[in-house]
Amino acid sequence: MSVHTMLEAVNLSKRYEDGALAVDDVSFSVRPGEIFAMLGGNGAGKTTTINIFLNFLEPTAGEARINGIAAHRAPLEAKRHVAFVSENVMLYPTFTAVQNLDYFARLGGKTQYTADDYRRVLLRVGLQEEAHHKKLKGFSKGMRQKCGIAIAILKDAPAILLDEPTSGLDPKSGFEFMQLLGSLRDEGKAVLMSTHDIFRAKETADTIGIMRQGRLVMQRSRAGLAGEDLERLYMEHMAGVHE
Amino acid sequence: MLATIIVHELKNILFSPKFSVTVAVASVLLLLSVVAGIGQYRAAAAQYETTTQLVQQEMREARGWMALTNKVLRRPDPMQIFVSGVANDVGRLSGVNAFQAVKLSHSTFSDDPVYAVFRFIDLSFIVAVVFSLLAVLFTYDAVNGEKERGTLQLTFANAVPRAQYILGKFAGAWLGLVLPLLVPMLLSLLLLAVTAVPMTAEEWGRTVLLFGGAVLYVTVFVALGILLSTLTPRSSASFLYALVLWVCAVFIVPRAGTTLAGHLVPVPTVAETEARRDAFAKDRWAQYEAQMQSRWKERNAPLEGMTKEEREAYRDEKMWEWMEQDDQDRKQVQTDIDEQARRLTEELRNRRMEQERLAFTLSRLSPASSFQLAAMNLAGTDIALKTRYEDALNGYRTLFNEYKEKKAKESGNSGGFRIEVNSDTGVKIDAGRERGVLDLTGMPQFTHPSPSAAETMRSAFIDLGLLGLFSLAAFAGAFVRFLRYDVR
Amino acid sequence: MLVHIIEKELRDIVGSAKFAVNFSIGTALILLSFYTGAQNHRIAQEQHEAALAANVRQYEGVTDWMRVQSFRIFLPPQPVAALVNGVSNDIGRTVEVRGRGELRSQDSRYGDDPIFAMFRFLDLDFIVTVILTLFAVLFGYDAVNGEKERGTLRLTFANAVPRTVFITGKCAGTFLGLAVPLIIPFLLGALLLPVFGVPMSGPDWTALALVTGAGLLTMGAYLLLSVWVSARTERSSTSFLVLLSVWIMTVIVLPRLSAAGADLFVSVPSMDEVNSQKSRFMSQLWNEDRTKMNGFTPANKGDVQEVMKEFNRYMQTLADDREKRFNEFAGRLNEERANRQMEHRRLTQYLSCLSPAALFTLAASELAGTSLRLEEEYLAQAREYQKEYARFMKEKTGTNTGGFAMVFRMVTDDNAEKPKPINIAEVPAFRFVPPAAEAGLPPFTIFSGTIALYALLSFAGAYRAFRTYDVR
Ligand SMILES: Nc1ncnc2c1ncn2[C@@H]1O[C@H](COP(=O)(O)OP(=O)(O)OP(=O)(O)O)[C@@H](O)[C@H]1O
Ligand SMILES: [Mg+2]
Repeated sequence: MSVHTMLEAVNLSKRYEDGALAVDDVSFSVRPGEIFAMLGGNGAGKTTTINIFLNFLEPTAGEARINGIAAHRAPLEAKRHVAFVSENVMLYPTFTAVQNLDYFARLGGKTQYTADDYRRVLLRVGLQEEAHHKKLKGFSKGMRQKCGIAIAILKDAPAILLDEPTSGLDPKSGFEFMQLLGSLRDEGKAVLMSTHDIFRAKETADTIGIMRQGRLVMQRSRAGLAGEDLERLYMEHMAGVHE
Repeated sequence: MLATIIVHELKNILFSPKFSVTVAVASVLLLLSVVAGIGQYRAAAAQYETTTQLVQQEMREARGWMALTNKVLRRPDPMQIFVSGVANDVGRLSGVNAFQAVKLSHSTFSDDPVYAVFRFIDLSFIVAVVFSLLAVLFTYDAVNGEKERGTLQLTFANAVPRAQYILGKFAGAWLGLVLPLLVPMLLSLLLLAVTAVPMTAEEWGRTVLLFGGAVLYVTVFVALGILLSTLTPRSSASFLYALVLWVCAVFIVPRAGTTLAGHLVPVPTVAETEARRDAFAKDRWAQYEAQMQSRWKERNAPLEGMTKEEREAYRDEKMWEWMEQDDQDRKQVQTDIDEQARRLTEELRNRRMEQERLAFTLSRLSPASSFQLAAMNLAGTDIALKTRYEDALNGYRTLFNEYKEKKAKESGNSGGFRIEVNSDTGVKIDAGRERGVLDLTGMPQFTHPSPSAAETMRSAFIDLGLLGLFSLAAFAGAFVRFLRYDVR
Repeated sequence: MLVHIIEKELRDIVGSAKFAVNFSIGTALILLSFYTGAQNHRIAQEQHEAALAANVRQYEGVTDWMRVQSFRIFLPPQPVAALVNGVSNDIGRTVEVRGRGELRSQDSRYGDDPIFAMFRFLDLDFIVTVILTLFAVLFGYDAVNGEKERGTLRLTFANAVPRTVFITGKCAGTFLGLAVPLIIPFLLGALLLPVFGVPMSGPDWTALALVTGAGLLTMGAYLLLSVWVSARTERSSTSFLVLLSVWIMTVIVLPRLSAAGADLFVSVPSMDEVNSQKSRFMSQLWNEDRTKMNGFTPANKGDVQEVMKEFNRYMQTLADDREKRFNEFAGRLNEERANRQMEHRRLTQYLSCLSPAALFTLAASELAGTSLRLEEEYLAQAREYQKEYARFMKEKTGTNTGGFAMVFRMVTDDNAEKPKPINIAEVPAFRFVPPAAEAGLPPFTIFSGTIALYALLSFAGAYRAFRTYDVR
């Protein structure tokens, strides 16, 4: 049985109004139970790609599909199947962590959660219990990031998009987050993540893509990377050696 | 160093497109209000001229000297262009004659209440409301905003003395706000000169002082904004406080102050005072009549037992004396009534003065009230306008009535009814003879009162002084706070 | 979904420091306005009664109705007028009735006590047009772009949230979050009124409720406008400045320019001109009559009392005739001026329709009975009263010369019976019937309907703008 793809970019291109070609004919797919890590320098087009999946941007050409649904054609339908963590999670500062979670869970269509569920998921992402009922105003960036991840978990969507989710996390939290991501994968989620953390990517990801100037210049599975020095490979691609 | 900071701050403000747009709009509004004010002044002046002429004509065609009534109109004052004050609320004219007390009635707003629905706009109002708002809006984040953006840290990574920094901030923001205030004000002076609005040298002086007051007023709010930005760590909080402060200072305190004074010191209405005056008048006339009755009885007593001819001769002999005597008494009655009216008015005024003093004290908690009070004082459209005119009118009334009486005597025609009842000749009624127009040469002219320079200065300087104190206190507060401000 | 968004919006608002500050200030001001309204009403009532009493007292000891040359009537203070001042402080409260002739109201509150005219009162109209609209701007200016700046808009739209639902929820939630808490001080304030002895009738309560409703509607209009602007601008600081400019223009500037603007198109002849024409005509009539008076020859010269009666009768016919001719003349002038005034007022209203705040002022004063109709109504009722008064005086004295009559008293013996004083209480009382609230209802409906239209347009604008809003 061929496992269908959950997230799929098909010849995806995006040219901004100012003419900058941010994504250039990018194709890849992520299946359930797979983590796809996008690497690439600043301005390579990672955030743009994720934005197209969320219909924050219309693609200039090609399609970004979630569960087979093109995001820009049926955005509401598509977004039912996806959770999202941004690189700088911003929440309502006057709400407590739990209140924020509750609101976004409801927006995600999940109304059945109890206080205990929120407690558990916050503990699972590593937010200390005494912060659960504090207003977000005083949270550090890492704490906010953890709340964002908790929101994504609560949505329980088959696909998860993460834009540099570990930025701002302390090393221990970063490690725990990767473990968490692994367990989500094991639950069968399809994960698309942009990151600058080559080592963690190598450890956790099933497939790694490298973007440069809008193009997906390399895409390899974990098996295909066996024995390769990913860091060297990355540097070479950044320098354009393989072109 | 200081210059660098000031220039930087000034650039920061002046080159921000939002600031330039908002301030340009406010400046245009200011100029517009002056243009509209000039238009209104001209219309009022024209109306004043025509009405005065109509009144003159009316007087010449009057029934006779005794029936002559003058109508005095308040002359429109060019200072109203900047500060309308209570000029539209206080009556515009008063009748002047022997039988009525003077009373200003027919205010612009009561004649045409449509203007009262929203009232007018003038320069002092725009400065008081709009420029104060702009001042706090462009300074509320002067310090804490820089901290949030991280530039404060960077600045103090250099050898910048704190005192110079805060001084520079203040000076820069102040210049940025005062310039857009001064430009339209200077333009409006030019406009006044070009459109030949008749202003005396003293009025020019008052105008300049008024503009100085406006600058001082804006200074208060600049200093307050900066103070707030040093008091709160976050600009969103100081933004909120700045708005609250503005609403309270501009709208709430002045209103609440005067209203509270109205509750604490109630003043009887004019209607009540007038009714009391009329009661006295009625009493006094009744007394006079009773006196007349007994007097005539006395006068008629010797007639008993005289022949018709004798009676006639006796009457002819005494008539002049009697009439003089009666006339004297009648005049005395009128004097008494006037005196009583004066006392009642005095009483009312004292009460009102007490109320005003309290109202001013309370509302002066807000710099906006101080500014508006100073502006009204300088423009002569303050609440004393009413009493000033009433006093002048009372003085004029005496002169006018004297003139009238003299003329009436000269012409020998009262213009009123003369009804003679005589048990011998029966009733004779004379409603005055037909005549041409009255010759009004030599009639005393009303001199329009204007507040004395000393008086204006005294009251204006209280308020301007308060504004100065306000800005000093606010700036000192900001200064002290900033010396110990956590710049991280 | 919509419910969640509304709920979140409510919580977001109610939990914010902004709300705490604004709500406490709003509550304090609303209560203050009710309190000062009640106090003002009490003082006005006392003053009214004092004036009435003093007016009656001046006739004490008067023994002849002929001596009652005029009688003053006063506009009684109305409870709702204390809350929505309208022009009630600008129009004259006293009318001197002589039995004939034109009536004029004088002694306005602001004219009597210009101290209150300087800053005016803190009434509900002020609270709504200045404070509530400012609240609306404060809570609406960053409704959309603020969420974007905070980054929550991205997260929200990472979910399957239809934009229409979001913007609707945003508008509804913010409005409810602002309006519902504000109802509390309004209710409390209303409860204060009876406590402070303001006699509110059934229609008064209805009027107050409708005015409050219109006030919240006005706030809603500004709120929706703010949401619209915030959905059309990138940064909340920009939308704030835009909205503040709109606020200053519509709340502070435009209404004040409307009457002056109407002047440019309609010129109303000044009261002075009209009065002067009238008084010249009057003196012309007098001159004609004087000649006639000189020709008066009594039928019976001997009996002085009879002569006086006859003379007064003669004067009466002259006065009647004079009045008829004068009324014709004055009526024409008055009508001309009234027509011009009407035109001017209408234009002023049209111009002020540009501002929802001004519309509220107009709407509220219509219901409170303090619109421009108040003066018309007062004078109309005073004219009716004058007829009644004239009838009464004619009954008592046999003439109605409008206060100009000859009183003649014979010298009598001291031991003759003293004349009895008159009982002034016999003079018919003037009872002002405030303009029926029903009469104010149609204009109120039109004005508040226009506010609603503004609200609707703003919502449509916000809706449209948000459809293509960049949520990144
Ligand atoms: N709104 C925009 N308009 C025009 N160009 C844009 C816009 N947003 C991004 N770009 C351009 O698109 C390109 C890709 O940007 P993108 O944000 O996708 O990069 P990224 O890979 O996420 O970088 P980083 O690692 O720094 O987050 C960049 O060259 C950027 O300048
Ligand atoms: Mg990025």
